[in-house]
Amino acid sequence: MSEHISERISGAAPAATGAWSGFSYIVTNLARFVRPNEITFSGVNSALPMLACLLAKRAYPFAFTYINVAGGVDPIPSAVPISSSDPVLAEGSRSIFANEDFYDLCTRGLMDLCFLGAAQIDGLGRTNVSCIGDWHAPRVRLPGGGGGAVMLPTARRAVTWRTEHSRRTLVETLDFVTAAGGMHGVVTPIAVFTKREGRLVLASWHPEASLDEVRDRTGFAFAADGAAPTPPPTPEERAALTALDPDGRFEADAGIRLR
Amino acid sequence: MSAGTQKIIPLADLAARVPDGSSLALGGSFLHRGPFAFVRELIRQGRRDLEVVKQSPGYDIDILCRAGALSRAKAGIVAMEGNFGLAPWYRRAIESGDVRLEEHACASLTAGLRAAAFGVPFMPCGGIHGSDLPALNGWKTVEDPYGSGEAVYAIPRIQPDFAVIQANEVSESGDVRVYGTSHWDRIMSRSAKRVLVVAERVVPDASFRDQPELTLVPHFLVEAVSIMPNGAWPGSLWPDYAIDYPAVEAYMADKPGVLDAHLAAGPEAREAVHV
Repeated sequence: MSEHISERISGAAPAATGAWSGFSYIVTNLARFVRPNEITFSGVNSALPMLACLLAKRAYPFAFTYINVAGGVDPIPSAVPISSSDPVLAEGSRSIFANEDFYDLCTRGLMDLCFLGAAQIDGLGRTNVSCIGDWHAPRVRLPGGGGGAVMLPTARRAVTWRTEHSRRTLVETLDFVTAAGGMHGVVTPIAVFTKREGRLVLASWHPEASLDEVRDRTGFAFAADGAAPTPPPTPEERAALTALDPDGRFEADAGIRLR
Repeated sequence: MSAGTQKIIPLADLAARVPDGSSLALGGSFLHRGPFAFVRELIRQGRRDLEVVKQSPGYDIDILCRAGALSRAKAGIVAMEGNFGLAPWYRRAIESGDVRLEEHACASLTAGLRAAAFGVPFMPCGGIHGSDLPALNGWKTVEDPYGSGEAVYAIPRIQPDFAVIQANEVSESGDVRVYGTSHWDRIMSRSAKRVLVVAERVVPDASFRDQPELTLVPHFLVEAVSIMPNGAWPGSLWPDYAIDYPAVEAYMADKPGVLDAHLAAGPEAREAVHV
């Protein structure tokens, strides 16, 4: 928790490509899924999507509605909380849009983009957030899907992230299907996937990684035609993230390594 | 007024109303506005075989598991949150089989509560298609009886024995006011057989009469109330206090004596009996 990220990515990140840390890569590329004039949601246990939504508000020259699990609607929080469900995320909100409200909004088809967590993701963009091993005798009991099983199939787009890119997180076969319906996007420290014709395809990769490395560390097969190194963060994206995490606390907490 | 004063009772008496084996819908979410002093009091009184019914439990379910007070849970997502990760004693209790989980999506648990609140045996719930959860829980689909051809999952009624709500303010009569988001508390208070409340403070009835739209639960739904300042500790209660991160960090230590020390540090343990 105290170890700073820049010390962890040893050997990577010389000045020219120091454009991205694993942390900035995930937060910024999640933010790039936010579109103008849409309703975007971030939930519990979701510090990185929370930061992505706040980053999009600061960095992008368009309006969108940001709602969150604390009931906030385009809030003006006085601080960025460690807990992504902290009530400070409703500060400055002109209404409280509580849990039942945003789930119902989603099931009736009006949630444009929501960020949902995942422990394992398969090539169809389905997720397991329930268990490692057999559900009835798990090696690891995971948190559970929360919104997933209801929101993933009913949101217009859902996007997830993993701080570890490996064959145990991006898998051919899930240990349990917590939520189906298929992620529109997946962001890891080294890659961005999007969905095409029902399967995840590579959209771009971290410029310090490579297509081969992404293939090598991914458990499911994927198409990569059209994929290219991820464009570097814009000055606006960079400034927004610095403003949100000025002392690097979130980055240190996230502890994200490229490899 | 006399009826009102009878409604406000000491926290120990409030917790004593919960028998072993009860199912409890606990208000709040993760480390935010949960009835945590109440949960600790259940542990002090040695309650056993409880069930937690909550979309997003965390500290509450974890400490009940740690104390051996829990046998069942219906939950959507369980974690300490903040930057504390998984709920370790909950996780162990599930992995060892000591606690039996009925895994939900948050909205399917809400649908079950809605069935109870609406007085019907089941409630349709959107989504869920393609998930392994229906097979696990025996959930069935119903086809639209009006011929659209759409099939939806029908979630069976979930009626907790108790809803326990952590509130900012109550009236003498037991009206309940919450600031910030109500999380799932409203549907919990409408679905449970009995509603118990722990509040930070009493405010005059006149305040409730001035702004009745701020009342989350009316007094006639509320059986009894306790007043316990900082009752959501170590969690937050907007806008009065934030999460006590050092206290949660101390709780997370897996060492002998930590649970007892944590219980002793609760505001309810350090106060004289509150009436």
